Amino acid sequence: MSGLTASMPRLDAEVLIIGSGAGGATTAALLAEAGIDVLIVEEGPWVDQGSVTPFSLEQMDQQYRAGGVTVALGLPSIAYTEGRCAGGGTEVNSGLYFRPPVDVIERWSAQHRIRDLDPDALSVIAAEIEQALTVSTVPGRTTPASEILRDGAAALGWQHNEIPRWMAYPPGGDAVTGKRQSMTRTFLPRAFAAGARMIVDCRVDRLHMAGGTGRSAAVTFADGSTGVITFRDVIVCGGAIQSPALLQRSGIHGYIGRTLAVHPTVKLSARFRDEVNVPDDVPVHQVKEFAPDLSFGGSASHPGLVALALTDHWKAFSKSVVQWRQIAIYYAAITSEGRGWVRAIPGLRDPLVTYRLSHRDRQLLRSGLARLTLLMLEADAEEVYPSFRGAPIVRNRADIASMQQAFAVSKASVMTVHLCSSVPMGELPGRSGADSFGRVHGTSNVFVNDASLLPTAPGVNPQATVMAIAIRNARHFISSRSTTDTRSTTDTRNIKGHHER
Amino acid sequence: MRPVPSAPIVGPFADRLLALDLPHLDPARRRDTVEFVTRRVDSLPSVMHLGVLVIATVFRLVVATPLADRFVRLMSHLALPLLGEYVRLVRSLGYAYIWESWPDTQANGASTPEHIR
Repeated sequence: MSGLTASMPRLDAEVLIIGSGAGGATTAALLAEAGIDVLIVEEGPWVDQGSVTPFSLEQMDQQYRAGGVTVALGLPSIAYTEGRCAGGGTEVNSGLYFRPPVDVIERWSAQHRIRDLDPDALSVIAAEIEQALTVSTVPGRTTPASEILRDGAAALGWQHNEIPRWMAYPPGGDAVTGKRQSMTRTFLPRAFAAGARMIVDCRVDRLHMAGGTGRSAAVTFADGSTGVITFRDVIVCGGAIQSPALLQRSGIHGYIGRTLAVHPTVKLSARFRDEVNVPDDVPVHQVKEFAPDLSFGGSASHPGLVALALTDHWKAFSKSVVQWRQIAIYYAAITSEGRGWVRAIPGLRDPLVTYRLSHRDRQLLRSGLARLTLLMLEADAEEVYPSFRGAPIVRNRADIASMQQAFAVSKASVMTVHLCSSVPMGELPGRSGADSFGRVHGTSNVFVNDASLLPTAPGVNPQATVMAIAIRNARHFISSRSTTDTRSTTDTRNIKGHHER
Repeated sequence: MRPVPSAPIVGPFADRLLALDLPHLDPARRRDTVEFVTRRVDSLPSVMHLGVLVIATVFRLVVATPLADRFVRLMSHLALPLLGEYVRLVRSLGYAYIWESWPDTQANGASTPEHIR
């Protein structure tokens, strides 16, 4: 990739962008196209799309933080995943696209006093994103595992949709022939074409601050050597865990890392008469009858993941593992009222992450699992294996009641892939970590532009919302900078003129 | 770099747990799996890595005694706070690796014969 730069002990950039996911890549492309000298630093490696099997352990090794084994501690603890590679989470996620929800944007604008956060303007940006990422539905048949969601919901009269994805499909293609239009295929090449540079396998340890101004970044390269990058402005786009952790390590505290929000999910596996498992893809249908509180969808169902899902009650479930081709994994996701913390701990490389579910969250997870089980039975599942310790096998409606009795959230394998809100934007004193356009409060040139800025979890896949807000903020940065530059130039001329006079 | 590699601490318990859970798993596959589990434990985030190593050290000490088999059997069934989470972690990583690497493995760890796949 032409934009990749070799590591050097001293580097300089007008704008340093830390992280290359949905926020960082879009920001880099827009700033570079505006003529700004941009250097992107990415902690993970560059991995070409298609070079590893999607949703496999190999992908987790190469493209996820800690091999995909990361946990927010709590009762219960919540397993989460973070992309750690060029393109970040966009390289490894489901690719399901939702426009920024208008009601959510309006609520954020009003309740968090975010200036000029206009749903109509974001819709215009969303249309640009849809074009850039070729957002589209599957041209042919969707996968059997996806059609189960559709058919089960239809049988119950529940609202369901095929969700478009950021995929490019070849002519005559079908569900499994699409090519993911992630950041390494879209916005990063755009940034490189406009002159941006990028260093991969380079971790930013901390920012050196002088008063409220960031001066440089201390970095460590993959070979263990260290370096310093000086900049005029820095934009942190490391995601909802790494961005607040870096700010805290840099001595920037404020309202940072205190309001982590996620979409917690509970899962089940369901066995059908026919083969339904497509190991390297995820279902594109979702059930939105109870949204935004509760949504149902399908997960990756690699045989390893099926075995993993069955470990919650291995003694009862294990005999089915050989039938993994007839098994697919589904989830019930909730919009949580709970909140979590991200805390950098001196001397430790990674932050401590905690999360606390509210009473309502627990009730929703319970009812979500029961409803999802019902949906599976309506779609003709022969057996359903809920993912909680000691769960019974569900074969008919009568079994659902006993499953609900046995269920406790503390016994469930709760997980999430959507993390946000750890540096919420807005103008509310004491309730926002950054201003309405991502500048960290108390600093003059340190910005955040990723999922951390979303004031709450949006209730849908957040990538499009993250990208739309990142583009909005990047444009504001460019226009503010032009104003400042014009003023500086004018000031210089004035000073020069004053001396000449 | 991690100062404490987990293999000597986590490995023996993981090996015994897998041998108990999946008695027909080929020993070479079990070795591969244990190696995978310890590699993943090595890459855990700092706080989790530290916590796992503390619990794993306790398990390691017991596994070195004649009570090892009884202890592993007991721990594999009890869902104790924290201690149970360690067992769950080792089992989850191990099973995910086994069925991704050899998808036709049976529930007792045996390979499915070619002719009935």
